[in-house]
Amino acid sequence: MSQWLNHVLERASTVDDWLSPVRAQALDTLKQQQWPTRRTEAWRYTSLHPVADLQLQTGTSNNTAEAPFIEGLNSLDLVFVDGQLSTDISKLQLPEGVTISELSAPSEPAEALFAQVKPSHHLFGLVNDVLAQQGVVIDIAAGAKVKQPIRIVNFASAGIESHQRTLVRVGANAQATIIEHGSGSGNSLNTAFAEYDIAEKASLEHYRFALHEGESIHIGGSHFKLHDHAKMNSTLIGYGSQLTRLDVDIEHAGEHAFAKFNNVYLLAPREHFDLHSTIEHASPNGTTEENARGIIGDRAKAVFNGRIHIHRHAQKTLAELNNRNLLLTRGAQINTKPELEIYADDVQCAHGATVAEIDEEALYYMLTRGIDKQQALVMLNFGFVQEMVFQMPNKALADWLQPILKTRFESMMEQQ
Amino acid sequence: MSEQIDQALARKYDAGFVSEIESETFPIGLDEDVIARLSAIKGEPEWMLEWRLKAYRTWLKMEEPDWAHVDYPKVDYQSISYYSAPKSMKDKPKSLDEVDPELLRTYEKLGIPLHEQEMLAGVAVDAVFDSVSVVTTFREKLEEAGVIFCPISEALHKYPDLVKKYLGTVVPRGDNFFAALNSAVFTDGSFVYIPKGVRCPMELSTYFRINEQNTGQFERTLIVAEEGSHVSYLEGCTAPQRDENQLHAAVVELVALDDAEIKYSTVQNWYPGDENGKGGIYNFVTKRGLCEKNAKISWTQVETGSAVTWKYPSCILKGDNSVGEFYSVALTRGRQQADTGTKMIHLGKNTKSTIISKGISAGRSNNAYRGLVRMGPGAEGARNFTECDSLLIGDQCGAHTFPYIESSNPTAIVEHEATTSKVSDDQLFLCRQRGLDPEKAVSMIVNGFCKEVFRELPMEFAVEAGKLLEISLEGSVG
Amino acid sequence: MLSIKDLHARVEETTILKGLNLEIKPGEVHAIMGPNGAGKSTLGYVLSGRDGYEVESGSVEMDGKDLLDMEVEERAQAGLFLAFQYPVEIPGVSNMEFMKESVNALREARGEKALSSAEFLKKAKEACKQVELPLDFLKRGVNEGFSGGEKKRNEIMQLIMLEPKIAILDESDSGLDVDALQVVAKGVNSQRDGKRSFIVVTHYQRLLDYIQPDYVHILSKGKIVKSGGPELAKEVEASGYAWLAEAEAEGADA
Repeated sequence: MSQWLNHVLERASTVDDWLSPVRAQALDTLKQQQWPTRRTEAWRYTSLHPVADLQLQTGTSNNTAEAPFIEGLNSLDLVFVDGQLSTDISKLQLPEGVTISELSAPSEPAEALFAQVKPSHHLFGLVNDVLAQQGVVIDIAAGAKVKQPIRIVNFASAGIESHQRTLVRVGANAQATIIEHGSGSGNSLNTAFAEYDIAEKASLEHYRFALHEGESIHIGGSHFKLHDHAKMNSTLIGYGSQLTRLDVDIEHAGEHAFAKFNNVYLLAPREHFDLHSTIEHASPNGTTEENARGIIGDRAKAVFNGRIHIHRHAQKTLAELNNRNLLLTRGAQINTKPELEIYADDVQCAHGATVAEIDEEALYYMLTRGIDKQQALVMLNFGFVQEMVFQMPNKALADWLQPILKTRFESMMEQQ
Repeated sequence: MSEQIDQALARKYDAGFVSEIESETFPIGLDEDVIARLSAIKGEPEWMLEWRLKAYRTWLKMEEPDWAHVDYPKVDYQSISYYSAPKSMKDKPKSLDEVDPELLRTYEKLGIPLHEQEMLAGVAVDAVFDSVSVVTTFREKLEEAGVIFCPISEALHKYPDLVKKYLGTVVPRGDNFFAALNSAVFTDGSFVYIPKGVRCPMELSTYFRINEQNTGQFERTLIVAEEGSHVSYLEGCTAPQRDENQLHAAVVELVALDDAEIKYSTVQNWYPGDENGKGGIYNFVTKRGLCEKNAKISWTQVETGSAVTWKYPSCILKGDNSVGEFYSVALTRGRQQADTGTKMIHLGKNTKSTIISKGISAGRSNNAYRGLVRMGPGAEGARNFTECDSLLIGDQCGAHTFPYIESSNPTAIVEHEATTSKVSDDQLFLCRQRGLDPEKAVSMIVNGFCKEVFRELPMEFAVEAGKLLEISLEGSVG
Repeated sequence: MLSIKDLHARVEETTILKGLNLEIKPGEVHAIMGPNGAGKSTLGYVLSGRDGYEVESGSVEMDGKDLLDMEVEERAQAGLFLAFQYPVEIPGVSNMEFMKESVNALREARGEKALSSAEFLKKAKEACKQVELPLDFLKRGVNEGFSGGEKKRNEIMQLIMLEPKIAILDESDSGLDVDALQVVAKGVNSQRDGKRSFIVVTHYQRLLDYIQPDYVHILSKGKIVKSGGPELAKEVEASGYAWLAEAEAEGADA
């Protein structure tokens, strides 16, 4: 058992707001959960040792921070510092069709979404259910085509434990872009969970940047429910930190839905990153394309678990998952498990996973052309991550991210 | 056309008869006394009994694994008899002429004549009936080459040092729940020893038959291939059609020393139960091989039987340049459940492994591939290639793939691919337009799907496997 | 040989053939031409009994027997062969074993003995030679990784092997260059023996330069709207199918 979890259970009883009935249910479920060990399949390769007896300050912090500037993005920013919303929503100029409220204020969309999209088996999701008092509820009206990206910024500062929640409803035929932008360093624990309901024929462009580094611990998830003919295109970028664990669930609840999910993990020395993605094809004629690519630095460890589940009646599903990994040094480690669970026969499903070394022949070729070895390695290896960045539909984000990732990669190569 | 395919799923199990043979069978139940009695009947050395008891005590503390994608009622280990032998075997027959003719007829009915002159030339057979080995053919010819091929109970008397040296070195006593149980109560099985540099002059084969009711079969096979030697071993299994579930928990250990090669082929056709899932064998098997330098172990399996299969023939690639292979066809129909695959543990440099798995699910069955490829820190330049293909026949079955890939060496390369498909209407139509009836068409398409695996089987077995598949699919199409 | 009377057939909810009539005598070659969507491929599928192609009314007799009452494989065994426009791949099943099963299934239906391996091989080699396919094609999976042209030649190879009474060629010319087209035509022509009949379905007249038809029929909107000799194909070549629409418009006026 974990000291930390015991404290969570104690603290949970002090939370009292309009969501209390739902929180109470989550607390019941949480109480029945075992603290994960290596024998818990979902935590087979990730030790929760750093969290087990963690004791951090949990009260309000006085920190303030500016959202990182991204040129040309022109986003509507909602800034959280250590779980506390520091943006005054009432002063925001909201685009037409967008309603934003705080989680603490009762609202219809919050009631419809809170703990309703996210599966109840995620341990830390339950922790977030019982403890996250602050969050935002974003409601995109049916038919609204919202051009301006909405960004939720999450800072985690040293010494503090925080929990943040995001709920998003994209109405029928609406379009929106949501960015979850998290970062942190120093000894901190931040959980951030987001739930998305994408209505008929709606379309969501989504980004999650988990740029936590150093001693920080970040555990979170993004969970999506797609209705008939809904579309989503999501890109997840993760660093690692002392411990980063993300769970992504995409449910094809309606027919003819489409999901594209790209993710990249770039782990500096000693970082730990764990991504569990689950695609539930619960209805016919759905399509999913998932690509995960990772580069793992010295003594860093990456875990990727990509599950595709085709339910009995989900005929004519197309689902593909591809995972590619590159280990930079002998101490680097990857554990990957692409899973297929299929109960319908008229479907096309495939997955592939590779762990490969640097292509010596290509390297040699570049050297004979006079390219410096370090440079050649960067070009060869970074190329396959860069491809994912260039596939991001938002150009401003891609232009901002590409040099950041490249610099990080170059320093990973140097540290070898 | 799917209704036509569905109809093809009516089952037929040719090996389902019961032989009327008087047997000596232990009362049901398991404790240290039962193990002692079993060991005494076999006249085993003291150390063997000790070894069994240690395994038993370990087993008592273990829990039955529940991680596999199978679902079956808990086995009551106290309701099973742990020893059964034909009475006629009490004074062990010295030659085939002394073997109970009913026993010989049983094997003949299964298509395995034990009279040497009637047999396929070049295959030596060890026939295991319930808990004991009935007869081993071609022994003299093998002895000339220095090859030992005999029941393991006999090896314990004749070659105790060899058995003691290798038993439990690849699959330790407490390796897993079923291996521990087997270590405590195994009754017979085959022992093979190929001396240094010898190429075994013929295929070796063991044929397992469960006959008695309420008995479990716990055989143990140990194959040791000395440096530079070579052997090909085949294994087949059947059981009568009964309404109760029966337990089969075997352990197979392979030791391939430097430059040796072991090819191990299985055609598993235990009784699968009826279409409603009544009866059938629980097949919980631990198979593992150890490869020293430049050695090669190749597992080929065709799994069509058993109600529940839990089986992961594995290779520990310890020596540099060693090679592991796993070729598998698993067909499930009715209510069968299979969770099978392999583990390739790469420890040595430049080790290579290939995994080709073909799963066919029909009826209301579930068929899962579960595999592990591990590249250890020392697996410099190691390579793995894995291909897992599933074929679904009908929309009431399930096909699953759970591959675990763990790598901690940057020079190792792992490639895994998995696909799923069905017998397409277009393929069926083309075959039928060319005059083939739907049943033939499906069996041809399925055979084509399995080709990469079948071609790894020794000739006689490949034919048998193809036929088995055809019979299993009979009625899958109307 | 083959007698099609007032054939109506539909795919799902759409009626595609709307009263098609065609009489084919032994040894005759009938070309069926027409614009896209006229129902050309549907005819081949209906005659061969493909699932999803439902006959609403009309009759088809082959040698006096009710063809529509037979299963797909029974029609094949009775001597009906369809060369597919897009032949499907069957991974792992070699051309050789596929053809052997097929040839022997047809022989068995005719009450003949199965061919020995040697006899079969001889025949297969001969057929390959005729369509200029290298022998190693026999060992490859059925249509697996074949180019478009190879697939078409493989279909003709099968036609030669199976010696049907009537062969339907569904756009066997599409996607072929002139050289490949000649090979296909040569293969087909070698099978014209005065008894075997052919239905050659094509969009273009080009193929008919190489396979001389006895009759040409124009299929439009599920019916044969015009029949004639080889000269009709030339007309189509010269004027396209636009006149069909005009003729229809006129018909509507009248």
